[in-house]
Amino acid sequence: MLGLTLPVSASRAAAFDLDALMAQLAQVKSGEATFTEKRTVFQLDQTLESSGRLTFAAPDSFIRETLKPRRERLAVVGNQLTMSQGSRSRSTTLDSVPEAVVIVEAIRGTLTGNRETLERHFTTQLLGAAERWSLDLVPRDARLRGQVAQVRVSGRQGQLREVQITMTDGDRSVMQIEPVTAERSP
Amino acid sequence: MRVVCGVRARVLWVWLALMALAVWGGVRATYVADLSAFLPAAPTGEQRVLMAQLQNGATARVLMIGLRGGEPAQRTDASLQLAEALRGSGLFEAVHNGDHAADAATGAFLFRHRYLLSPAVSAERFTVDGLREGIADTVSLLGTPAGVPLKPLLWRDPTGETVRMAEAMLPANAPRSDGGVWVSREQPRALLLATVRSDGGDLDGQAQAQALVRTRFAALAAMAPGLTLELSGPGVFGVASRARIQGEVERLATAGTVAMVALLLVAFGSPRALGIALLPVASGVLAGIVAVDLGFGQVHGMTLGFGTTLIGEAVDYAIYYLVQARAGGHAQWQRTRWPTVRLGLWTSLAGFAALACSGFAGLAQLGVFSVSGLVAAALTTRFVLPVLAPQGSPGQGLRVALGRVTARLCAELPRWRRPLLSLTLVAAGLLVVLPSPWRGTLAALSPVSADALALDASLRADLGASEAGTLVAIEAPDEATALQRAEQAGARLDTLVEHGALLGYDSPARLLPSPATQLARRAALPEPGVLRERLAQAAQGGLLPVARLGPFLDEVQAQRLRAPVTLAELQTAAPALASAVQAQLTPGGAGRPWTVLMHLQAPAGAAGVDAAPLWAALRDLPDTRVVQIGAELDALYAHYLRQARWQAALGALAVVALLAWHLRSARRLGRVLLPLGASVVLVLAGLTLSGQVLGILHLVGLLLVAAVGSNYALFFDHLQTQAGEGTGDVPDADTLASLLMASVTTVVSFGLLATASVPALAAVGQAVAPGALLALVLSAAFISAQGRHGRIDRPQAPVRAR
Repeated sequence: MLGLTLPVSASRAAAFDLDALMAQLAQVKSGEATFTEKRTVFQLDQTLESSGRLTFAAPDSFIRETLKPRRERLAVVGNQLTMSQGSRSRSTTLDSVPEAVVIVEAIRGTLTGNRETLERHFTTQLLGAAERWSLDLVPRDARLRGQVAQVRVSGRQGQLREVQITMTDGDRSVMQIEPVTAERSP
Repeated sequence: MRVVCGVRARVLWVWLALMALAVWGGVRATYVADLSAFLPAAPTGEQRVLMAQLQNGATARVLMIGLRGGEPAQRTDASLQLAEALRGSGLFEAVHNGDHAADAATGAFLFRHRYLLSPAVSAERFTVDGLREGIADTVSLLGTPAGVPLKPLLWRDPTGETVRMAEAMLPANAPRSDGGVWVSREQPRALLLATVRSDGGDLDGQAQAQALVRTRFAALAAMAPGLTLELSGPGVFGVASRARIQGEVERLATAGTVAMVALLLVAFGSPRALGIALLPVASGVLAGIVAVDLGFGQVHGMTLGFGTTLIGEAVDYAIYYLVQARAGGHAQWQRTRWPTVRLGLWTSLAGFAALACSGFAGLAQLGVFSVSGLVAAALTTRFVLPVLAPQGSPGQGLRVALGRVTARLCAELPRWRRPLLSLTLVAAGLLVVLPSPWRGTLAALSPVSADALALDASLRADLGASEAGTLVAIEAPDEATALQRAEQAGARLDTLVEHGALLGYDSPARLLPSPATQLARRAALPEPGVLRERLAQAAQGGLLPVARLGPFLDEVQAQRLRAPVTLAELQTAAPALASAVQAQLTPGGAGRPWTVLMHLQAPAGAAGVDAAPLWAALRDLPDTRVVQIGAELDALYAHYLRQARWQAALGALAVVALLAWHLRSARRLGRVLLPLGASVVLVLAGLTLSGQVLGILHLVGLLLVAAVGSNYALFFDHLQTQAGEGTGDVPDADTLASLLMASVTTVVSFGLLATASVPALAAVGQAVAPGALLALVLSAAFISAQGRHGRIDRPQAPVRAR
């Protein structure tokens, strides 16, 4: 659990706010990372674990490929959402499934440094400084808040390191991200 | 008021009796203003599919509703309230606005029957490995938002059949969801999609449903000013077209009658003459209506719209009689002038009769209407008018002045012969050189405005309700076979999707599998003991404890005993689902097969779906065909145009043959045909130069120019022949004035038609109005009506009664 809870002190030369974070993140145009995810679901006794690969490319492409325990793929390009499980694949428009929008935009919006998207879907609260920051995202829509209570995205500099999703019914999911390559803009 | 007696009285009584019958028939006739005028009488298989869809298919019953303006929250509320009001009204089969709460009943039904309806159920699914796989699938969704609806159902549906059914029904192009309802992506607009219960062809029912939407919306908008309603769909177009055609017909009939009355008053200056002159018009119109009603069972609004031109043509006969009979009384007129009028009638009939044989119901009605109308008008002029006005028209009106003008023109025009001939040759040359203007399409015949089409396209894009480009149509004798054939076609289409030739397809079998498939799934469900054992093995080491999966075992057993789900059951238990199935599966009836329509989605970036691989894939399936709507409509139009060309050619040939037979002189025939041919060429060149796109109805108009213009050419020819022979009948200014007036009435009535906002009617008017005028001018120019002495007599005093 990274992320300092101390607000930025006024003695810093440049205050670290959402704009600065978004600028920092937007500099990273594309990247690849591996992830491990742990989910606690209150109906089950054990924690569910999965791991795989994340890829993203500005402005709006994001792919999450789970390799363990089962092969699954979630790809979002623009407004097109494609989910594959094994040999089955189905595709639909992202904005017709508001539940998917929450998760996808929380991650994709942060990865691409897209402030308008984040502000449109969430109320944001930024904690920490440039080296270590954490962004709390709470869905604006009441209906969606009834499902997802909060998404906390944390990272270092321009890289995402952790995504924590807290569901309203108590389930939680924590995804740790380890960057493999990142292409910065000059 | 003279006393009429004997034969003449009998004629009047017979005519009055016929008119009374005609009025009665006209009042009892059925009037329609829908697409029936454009549908072929003998359809091919593909055309049958199109027609069935237009008349009772679900795509024809769709109503797209947009709520624009105001705040987003207001639009959301309005969408929810309007949807509820419409569902409760009973006029709609289904109303979708993206609100999932409304789908609760459907979801519950699908869940209750999941082991028959889920595409994943098979014998492998219920093996140990299959169960393990299914459970793992479900578990992988838990803890994510996608797993939220699964959690309460986890112990009853651990293998995730709910998920698999939802996947299969996922639309590729769903609208954006915001605040729980569908909204537009680009505009501040909430969206609803409603399916009306009345058939697409039942315009009254459609109008009623649309009126209901408007009243309910008005109630909502009172609370939230700033909201506006947008409606579109095939039903909206149908109702609007009907209203437009009706409005146009009324306007044309009124304007036409007023214009005729004004002209006749100017010409005759006597109300009595006016009254008499209108009798052939009334007879003609009534006879036309009754003939069409008897022949076709209904009268189309377009026929009535076109029929208003009959007013202008029928009045010509009255004008000829009333003006020309002044010189020598009705007996002389019947001897000397009636034959020419009669020949003119025959040539006009030859033109219209060609239309009456068309396979295109709209044109056939025009033909029948005009033939019967002209015959009735001519007979009335020949038999009834002499009884009422034996010496022609009593009044003079402005005819003297007209006569002088006409005489002057007739003297002048022959000097323009050479320039006019050169102009005609230039026009003919232009026609050869310029690109063909015959680019009309069936869409150009539609009386729908461009704004309405743009709104329709924008709502469709928002809703993802694409234009039906390419369909697979399957016919079957009953529901079970239809669904089975849909499944077979679906299996073939799946291979095409895999290869990337198709993005996807819709199939009713995804929502309602065929009974055979459901029975196969039912047979795959294992017995209780066997299932418990396998489940215990599969759940070992898994994340779902077996102890809690009791409800799953019970529900599988319940489904083993269930009969397959049918459409009838859906209609009572899950009407929204039934409606969605019926959008793709049209139930059959007496003599009509069940039809499955599978919409295909082209791969991204492709212009359309390539038909060749489709045909190859579906070749040997029974009663299965690929219908490309655009291509079918184009082929239909091309077929009509080809037919119309043949008919126009035959009609022209009949006119020429008639003239040849009567005139018995190649020289005279040439003389008569020259102005007609020249007017057709000049009109065609003019229309081409103006950039007008020409279609079937322009062709009809050109035929009519020849048919109607032949009247004038024949008169001039007759006058010239008589003058040349030196017989006593010297042309006088009155006769020429009557020709001018007849031409003016025809030009005015067709000119009014040219101003119609219905493109089909305007097309005919655009061709005939200038053509008729040109026919008169060119006849006067090319056929000199001057006597050997080169003079034209003054009009004689009317012969006194003897």
